[in-house]
Amino acid sequence: MAADRSTAELERFLAERADHLLRTAVLLTGSKEAGEDLLQTAVERLLPRWRRFDGDPEGYLRRTLCNLATDGYRRAGVWRQKERLLRTAARPSPDATGDVDLRDALVRLLLQLPVRQRAVLVLRYWEQLTDAETAAILGCAEGTVKSAGSRGLARMRELAADWNGTAAMCGGEGRQS
Amino acid sequence: MKDVEDLLREGMERFTSDLRAPAGMTRRAVQRRHRRLALRSAAAVTTALAAAAVILVAVEVPGASRGGPAVASAAVVKRVDNALSAAEPGDIAQMTVTTSGVTAFGGPAVTTTAEEWSYRDQWRSVTHSSAGHPLYDEGFAGSVYTLVSYQTRTWAREPGLGRAVAGLSSPAGCGLVPVPGRAAPQLFQPGLPGAGFSASSPPAAAARSLRAAVACGNLVVAGRQRVDGIETTELTSRPGSLISETVWVGPGTYLPVRMVVRSGAGQPAFRLTADISWLAPTARNLAKLTVPIPAGFRQVQLMAVVLPIVQQFPGKQKPRTICLPAPAGSTCQRVSSSYGGALAPVPQP
Repeated sequence: MAADRSTAELERFLAERADHLLRTAVLLTGSKEAGEDLLQTAVERLLPRWRRFDGDPEGYLRRTLCNLATDGYRRAGVWRQKERLLRTAARPSPDATGDVDLRDALVRLLLQLPVRQRAVLVLRYWEQLTDAETAAILGCAEGTVKSAGSRGLARMRELAADWNGTAAMCGGEGRQS
Repeated sequence: MKDVEDLLREGMERFTSDLRAPAGMTRRAVQRRHRRLALRSAAAVTTALAAAAVILVAVEVPGASRGGPAVASAAVVKRVDNALSAAEPGDIAQMTVTTSGVTAFGGPAVTTTAEEWSYRDQWRSVTHSSAGHPLYDEGFAGSVYTLVSYQTRTWAREPGLGRAVAGLSSPAGCGLVPVPGRAAPQLFQPGLPGAGFSASSPPAAAARSLRAAVACGNLVVAGRQRVDGIETTELTSRPGSLISETVWVGPGTYLPVRMVVRSGAGQPAFRLTADISWLAPTARNLAKLTVPIPAGFRQVQLMAVVLPIVQQFPGKQKPRTICLPAPAGSTCQRVSSSYGGALAPVPQP
């Protein structure tokens, strides 16, 4: 049986891991504001369970982030429902300088993918989870993860191919670092 | 050349490299949880409305008290379901709701009044200032959402936004009551802007709340009292409830005519008073469900109507972005934190 955990412990845990979780949330949503909102919501989900929480809080928060980002956010109760109307929404910051390389373009493409496909890529290549772990978090079959990841990567490769082709036409490889 | 996976990973690293989680997440979570509990308690009023009718019927069903809780509940639910289904879709629920107390954005307590109507899948809500002037008028009919702002003299109409009345989810238990606001205005919950709470209780929604109300036994009969000249039965919440509820139920109809809800001890101050009438669906009454567009008002994009209203919400924690729901996803628009910036569309996933 789990011992009671204090709120101070939760604060300590968040002080240590919230930055990383925020980065995951931002990748799932596409903007800092939306990511912060998503993470805050996940912390609020954890809070009532915290005193008796017996498990990996980071894993719980990560799973909650994914669930909220993919489909749970719209059903999160009246307060959330209201807040959903007012919450900060996803928007990748445009690169006004033109100093864009393929990596940035890939991230922008990532943020335009369907949310579930995006979640798969974030979990696989940002969190570096296995297909099985990703499937467990998203609550789907491993095959679904593989196919979603494959589709997402295929679009990334198309972009990369176009990018390199354009770079070659423009006279070199300078656009890719 | 690097693999696209590596490039993506590096891109994600770069995209998020300067991010730092805001301080005080735990504190905010605690505060929001408290507020949510308070609002959820207030939302229990729908259950209270249903329970009022339930208990009244329970009192009048011969043998109900001898049959034990299970038998009584089953009989009561059936009777009240019948009573409420008789009101739906035949009657238009009309409510005048006055709320005061907590706000969503941490500001001082406010008092507002709203008039609401619901009929089948349609609803309309008009929010008034404390001086009695209309502030905004919104409604949903035929899958079209309409919003009129009297302050900016603008209006907007959006197909595919908002929700029909038939959106109430099943209750998950005594602690999670169904929320009538879901069945009512989506953009501004009537009565208390930004509070995420509506007192709207269309008959269909109330009927779905009955089983939870019976199971939870929220109300007890307190006696009889005259309300606007009608001899009503008064019901109150049990001692120690999270909120204090009083509901007056009309004779014979089992339908509520007035309710008062107050937050309990230790909760953010909140009070709601609603006077309810049940109107026949005559042409004149049905016209109440239509949001009128006053002459001289300018049609603009929906967000241009929304933002000036949101700006006036009391409190400091104002949203930076507004995201309007739609059946096929969300239509989001972002504004600067100072509310002075131009609207910028937000791409949809």
